[in-house]
Amino acid sequence: MINFGYTASESRHIDMDERLHPAIEKMLHREPSLKECIACGRCAAVCTAGYFTGMQFYRLNLMAHRGLINEMKQAARACMLCGKCQMTCPKGVNIRHGVLLMSQITDVLDV
Amino acid sequence: MYHPFVLPFVVGFSVMGVVLVARYIYWLRGMSPGNRQRVLWGFFSRSTLLAVKEILQESLLHLKIFRVNPLLGFMHASLAFGWFMLIVGGKLETWYYTGNFFNPPYYAIFFRYFEPLTEGFWMNGVLLFYMELSLLIVLSGLSIAVVKRIRKKVVGMNNTTRHNPANRIALFFLWMVFPLRLMAESATVAVHGGGSFLTTVTSSLFLSHDWAVWLELPLWWAYSTGLGLFFLALPFSRYLHIPTEMVMLLLKKWGVQPEPGFNPEKGVQAFEVHSCPGCGVCLDVCPAMGAGINSFQSAYFVRQVRAGHNYETIADMCLNCGACKEACPVGISLESLRLDARSHLHRKANFDHRYLHGTMTLWRDTTEVVLYTGCMGRINPKTTQAVKSLLHEAGVKFIHLDEHESICCGRPMALAGAAEQAKMLIQRNRELIHGQNGQLLVTTCPICYRYFSSEYDLNIPVLHHSQFLWQLIETQKLNRHKGNLRYAYHDPCELGRGANCYDEPRNLLYTVGELVALSSERNKALCCGNNIGSLTLAEEQKQKITANTLTVLSENSPDYIVTACPMCKNTLSRQSTLPVRDLAEVMLECKEVNVAGSRTRKKQASVNVTP
Ligand code: SF4
Ligand code: SF4
Ligand code: SF4
Ligand code: SF4
Repeated sequence: MINFGYTASESRHIDMDERLHPAIEKMLHREPSLKECIACGRCAAVCTAGYFTGMQFYRLNLMAHRGLINEMKQAARACMLCGKCQMTCPKGVNIRHGVLLMSQITDVLDV
Repeated sequence: MYHPFVLPFVVGFSVMGVVLVARYIYWLRGMSPGNRQRVLWGFFSRSTLLAVKEILQESLLHLKIFRVNPLLGFMHASLAFGWFMLIVGGKLETWYYTGNFFNPPYYAIFFRYFEPLTEGFWMNGVLLFYMELSLLIVLSGLSIAVVKRIRKKVVGMNNTTRHNPANRIALFFLWMVFPLRLMAESATVAVHGGGSFLTTVTSSLFLSHDWAVWLELPLWWAYSTGLGLFFLALPFSRYLHIPTEMVMLLLKKWGVQPEPGFNPEKGVQAFEVHSCPGCGVCLDVCPAMGAGINSFQSAYFVRQVRAGHNYETIADMCLNCGACKEACPVGISLESLRLDARSHLHRKANFDHRYLHGTMTLWRDTTEVVLYTGCMGRINPKTTQAVKSLLHEAGVKFIHLDEHESICCGRPMALAGAAEQAKMLIQRNRELIHGQNGQLLVTTCPICYRYFSSEYDLNIPVLHHSQFLWQLIETQKLNRHKGNLRYAYHDPCELGRGANCYDEPRNLLYTVGELVALSSERNKALCCGNNIGSLTLAEEQKQKITANTLTVLSENSPDYIVTACPMCKNTLSRQSTLPVRDLAEVMLECKEVNVAGSRTRKKQASVNVTP
């Protein structure tokens, strides 16, 4: 591993080489733009649901990559699909579709 | 009168009849009780007569297509109406000749074979002329259809529908049928004489009498077989639309209502889905087409729904801009069909908005206007500010409902196919709106406006800010002078086609400056490309659509591009080289170019604005 001159705690690593959960793989296949997220946090800053619940979309995406499917699904339920996040996202992530898939992941993407 | 060559036709025709009746009965039985009641009531009413008139206009003469595209309209009309003329003529001919009204159908269709020489009385000559004229009309339509397949630009279409194998087979037989009829009749004329202006010419194609004698029967066999196979293929191909469209028009006139759920093989939806001829009118109007995306247009969507597979990605991708629904000559409820398909696809979506607690309504002073700027308004503070300043200037008392806390109106959920789950949002918003004790709800977002008007059942009227600002101008609470800036107005889909509001925004712009004409505007306006209608279009694709729309908006080099939707404004301004403004901003800004008299008014107004 290259030494960048700092350390990070193991438990917080997201190892991109590790195989993702099959349900998440399917979700990413159906909405590939989710892979583009750079976790800049804009979506969270404007989130309509976030005002009431602290919902932060990029965190759901991180949960997905960490395999925390149930937590992700639970958190997705607060979304109003308003699309504000999408309007501000610099990477053009189809967040509404992403959340829609996240909220039904175990069923439609049959895990 | 009988000859074995009529058998292929008789078999094909009978099978078609049985399949059609069976399918229609099955669909009718699937209708909701309310709709079945309407059918029963409507059956013996005046609407049936009106529907017959419409069937004549739309299913046979295709007037709507004609208005959109005359050559294409002529093609459809000559095929359908010419054929209709042939059927009527055949009936008259056999009736006149035999004296009986009822004859076996094949007798009329192959009449020329059975009775080659009906001369002797002037009426025969007239009928003969009429029949050949009808055939010529059909053939002229057919030749346009053939040319259209090869070079679509000829009929002024940029796109024609790509067809699947079942449809191509049916199309092949349909194309074969009429030339074969002409050949067969010409052969008979060459053998026996007779014939009118058309066949006397074409019969000379048969070089000799012997050739004609030899070819006559095989040609009649071929004609009968082609016809039989076409009828056989009809109930399983897009040509099912020919009878279904007529039934659909009747049902519409009887007032049947859309049925909940996604059931393309049951009830009203079945009739709608099967009445699409795949005419392709929806292709040319689709904003995505100009950006080179040709996979999800309504013609394909309806076709896949009919086929029962592969409609999923198509349903999710479309922008729901409504242009195709507006243009569809059959009047299929494309938007509700698409949203029903989405709810079916995402039926497991599971949202929960119970975290929105009910608010206690304390007693409030009445206020004139409740201003609601919506989610998109929040990422467009300049528009919100402009509206507020204008309201101050006009001296309107208002409350900004969602200044601090905003709840989505619920339409985006409906657009994603989760309308059922927007109930909580609607309920909370309604409580909030009613709690303000206002007289009028004004919103700056067309998406909210449309949903408030259609789904909310509010106790006060709703207006879009463009409508309200125009009222203020009309009542002279706001005064503006005409400047010399040139504006291009972009119709937001949800406000224009969605809510039929085209004039107020234009009136406002006329008041303050000049409005440039565009090649697609009003109900033909192109979508900005980034509405929330599409769930899956990728960013680059949306950008292409936006670029395409901007080309149209910039065509007459206006000074400003103006729109009335915060989302359109954000989307367009990202890629536009021209400045993009909301109507309210224009109305506010143009105080600067006013004459001295109104300047003073502005000063007074700005005193009011400062809190
Ligand atoms: S705004 Fe877009 S890129 Fe930024 S965190 Fe959200 S989804 Fe990721
Ligand atoms: S669509 Fe959902 S995640 Fe995005 S801003 Fe609206 S409520 Fe938040
Ligand atoms: S949906 Fe309407 S416009 Fe499109 S092909 Fe069918 S009938 Fe024609
Ligand atoms: S609604 Fe608009 S984007 Fe969708 S298919 Fe129709 S014209 Fe195309």
